[in-house]
Amino acid sequence: MTVSTDHHNEAKRDVTFRVFRFNPQVDSKPYFDDYTIPVERGITVLRALNYIKEHVDASVSYRAFCQAGICGSCGMRVNGISMLACTTQVWEVLEKSREPGIIKVEPLRNLPLVKDLIVDMDPLVGKMTHYSNWVDSTMPEEEMGKKEFLISEEEFLKYDKATDCILCASCVSECSILRANKEYVSPAVLLKSYRMNVDSRDGSHDVRLAELVKDHGVWDCTHCYRCQETCVKSIPIMDAIHGIREDAIEKRGVKDTSGAKHAEAFMDDIAKKGKLVEATLPFRTNGVFWTLQNLLPMAVKMIMKRRTPPPPPMVKPSKGIKVFRSMFREMSEHVKQDHQSHNK
Amino acid sequence: MKPFDIVIVGGGGAGLYAAMEAMKTNPALNIAVLSKVYPNRSHTSAAQGGANAALANKAKDDTVEMHIFDTIKGSDYLADQDAVEVLCGEAPKIIRELENMGTPWSRLEDNTIAQRPFGGAGRPRCCYCADKTGHTILQTLYEQCLKKGVIFFNEYFVLNLSVHGSRSRGLIAMNMKTGKVEAFAARTVIFATGGYAKMYWNRSSNAAGNTGDGQAIAFRAGIPLKDMEFVQFHPTGLRKSGLLVTEGARGEGGYLINKDGERFMSRYAPEKMELGPRDLVSRSLETEILQGRGFDSPAGKYLHLDLTHLGADLIKSRLPQIREMTMNFEGVDPIEEPIPVRPTAHYSMGGIDTDNFGRTVIDGVYAAGECACVSVHGANRLGGNSLLDILVFGRIAGHTAAQEAGRFEPGAISEDEVNQQLEEIRSGMHASGHYERYGALREELGQTLALNVGIYREATQLKQGIADVAELRERFKKVRVSDSSDVFNTNLLQVLELKNMLDLAGSVAMGALAREESRGSHTRTDFPTRDDSKWHKHTLATLVDGHIILGEKPVTMGRHELQERTY
Repeated sequence: MTVSTDHHNEAKRDVTFRVFRFNPQVDSKPYFDDYTIPVERGITVLRALNYIKEHVDASVSYRAFCQAGICGSCGMRVNGISMLACTTQVWEVLEKSREPGIIKVEPLRNLPLVKDLIVDMDPLVGKMTHYSNWVDSTMPEEEMGKKEFLISEEEFLKYDKATDCILCASCVSECSILRANKEYVSPAVLLKSYRMNVDSRDGSHDVRLAELVKDHGVWDCTHCYRCQETCVKSIPIMDAIHGIREDAIEKRGVKDTSGAKHAEAFMDDIAKKGKLVEATLPFRTNGVFWTLQNLLPMAVKMIMKRRTPPPPPMVKPSKGIKVFRSMFREMSEHVKQDHQSHNK
Repeated sequence: MKPFDIVIVGGGGAGLYAAMEAMKTNPALNIAVLSKVYPNRSHTSAAQGGANAALANKAKDDTVEMHIFDTIKGSDYLADQDAVEVLCGEAPKIIRELENMGTPWSRLEDNTIAQRPFGGAGRPRCCYCADKTGHTILQTLYEQCLKKGVIFFNEYFVLNLSVHGSRSRGLIAMNMKTGKVEAFAARTVIFATGGYAKMYWNRSSNAAGNTGDGQAIAFRAGIPLKDMEFVQFHPTGLRKSGLLVTEGARGEGGYLINKDGERFMSRYAPEKMELGPRDLVSRSLETEILQGRGFDSPAGKYLHLDLTHLGADLIKSRLPQIREMTMNFEGVDPIEEPIPVRPTAHYSMGGIDTDNFGRTVIDGVYAAGECACVSVHGANRLGGNSLLDILVFGRIAGHTAAQEAGRFEPGAISEDEVNQQLEEIRSGMHASGHYERYGALREELGQTLALNVGIYREATQLKQGIADVAELRERFKKVRVSDSSDVFNTNLLQVLELKNMLDLAGSVAMGALAREESRGSHTRTDFPTRDDSKWHKHTLATLVDGHIILGEKPVTMGRHELQERTY
């Protein structure tokens, strides 16, 4: 982040905040209110909202507790992107506004709307509970307090970044899977699950993993990376998701779930042809019976629209496939070695 | 709703530990936690430094006894020594317990919990997780409470403690999502609502919600508050927001500079310069400002914390958080410009008067953490002892309430009582002729406290502060709630929080006026020395028929005799 220093310290700009409004008691549908206020350099979106609430319209509703980037209360969408209002500089987002001088402020997505910029966090807490997002200590309660587990700095570093999460739900709001399926585990809960699973003090690793590989679980992620890109604490959330998947394949085998099978089929194709054989991917992922039952209508539609992938014999190996195969073998060997040294 | 055995108000470190321990003590009990925020938002998460415990992982010769002495000396001998013995004695056990249940502590080379030096401590005994200790402790406790199935009523704002005679029947609270006022009949109640330093508003490092709700509710119910005049100021708060620039910035070599370009600490601590003890540095900054050597700005007078000479590389590698924070909240990049700072109210040593088990004068009502005053911090808290306090006494309060709940009948709370609370809220919300702006009152409260009940105190100014608070309380009767919605009325909530701060502010100012001495964080320019013959005692503030009556309570001594506090 850079702070522009070419403006005079106390100069002010007129900024219009286009704020999402909805009060379930009186409004049948949401609308936007415009508030134009003078804003000097160094003012955050939250401070601007505080100003609006105090001087213009006291009914504008949002959560803000610490107002210092620590507690995670003020997650909201500013110009369409989820972030903390308290750590976002007005002048900086202004430069990226689509309409000059206007900053759009909306509630987080993918959580039920309560009022204005406030969404219900209960579904997230419910998922944390469902996926056992706690360390289930191997030490019996009555033994606790007597001696420490000895934990290496190396192990600490495995979950250090993940414990930065403040549950602001920005990742939840940005997740493309959640937009389609509200049951989906969600990035924050995957991150926490990973943090618990790499903790050697935890004794419920397998229980958690068994839940994570079910429907709406870890295999539903489509790697869009929106969670990681928008994480207010810059946590590599996708590393955690990949970590759980690798763990699932290693511990439960590739035949375990459709997700694992899908990953394996993917790898097979790439290794053999350097590209995907899309026509048979559903069969190899979900089996013949499931595919015919669930995907046949879509296949018919695809045929009608001439959008079908080429039949398997027509998928020729990519150009330079020999060089690619040797590179692929080399990479696989590296990965294997990495795993071995990791497990030592 | 079925009556509860225990209702805990507040979901920070003290409240969550109390809930967990109560369930452990008696799993059959019906326990609920009421919190005005989701528990993981609580201000415990802001504690960066760590928690003290004589584990002797780092310094092999550290002992509980040394921790006890450091704490008593730090308190300027106002802490109760038996309470300090409990605090320090329980410390190693509770830190290990947290470790055992999954708190991610940083580690030493021998894989034990890492410890580092901290102000006022004779040995490096502050256990930490990077610079996010409070956050990780809060996460761990919240996770463990979810695991145990603790019942949470999130985003409930407690309005009143229902007291009849010498015992409580439970609480009345507002469900913020619906605006409904609900009764929580309970055998026991534990207050764990955090501190009250936010009454200094823009001159406070605290979360906006640290408005002393528990203390104010207890106070109105007739429970005495102890040592309210003791408020700790941190030297370097950001000018506009009061947010904290941690001591690390000075530790790395930052200078404090006045408007004449002087490194003014040479006047106050020629040897230690910027790294003098916290209260001394705070007083030095305040003196510079009072003597006209501060910079002027619409947000008030301030000084410079200059890091520019440290260079971009060092600032980026060692002080990245501070750089991010000053850019976010002050719009200043410390690589290019000095940071505007001034002292900021940081921690409240005073609070609800309790015994060593968290009990108050009302049967079945307990308090723990920053909202309570046992007292373990006396006139000045040591860094690393606040997290420890909430853990140790949160657990003790939870355990005690679980053991004693059976003794008390769950009193019924009448519909009249509930309606009366609702009526009070409604009358403010829909009254015509209410014209006072909440923001103005809140701002004026912060200003008069910072000016008249701040770092330096003196009789005339304190009397002015008391008069100002009284006037603000009068004007508050005409405060306007502009939002008429029942659903998540944050405007109403702000007004209710302001009421709590206004109700408490008088006790801080009056305690400060009565205490005619200087001790710990309390500095009287008209009484510049500690006066053990008259003031080696606690002050107690009690609300009687709407008037604050001051009383006193002896300090419990032990093995450590009174000494002059020098470092």
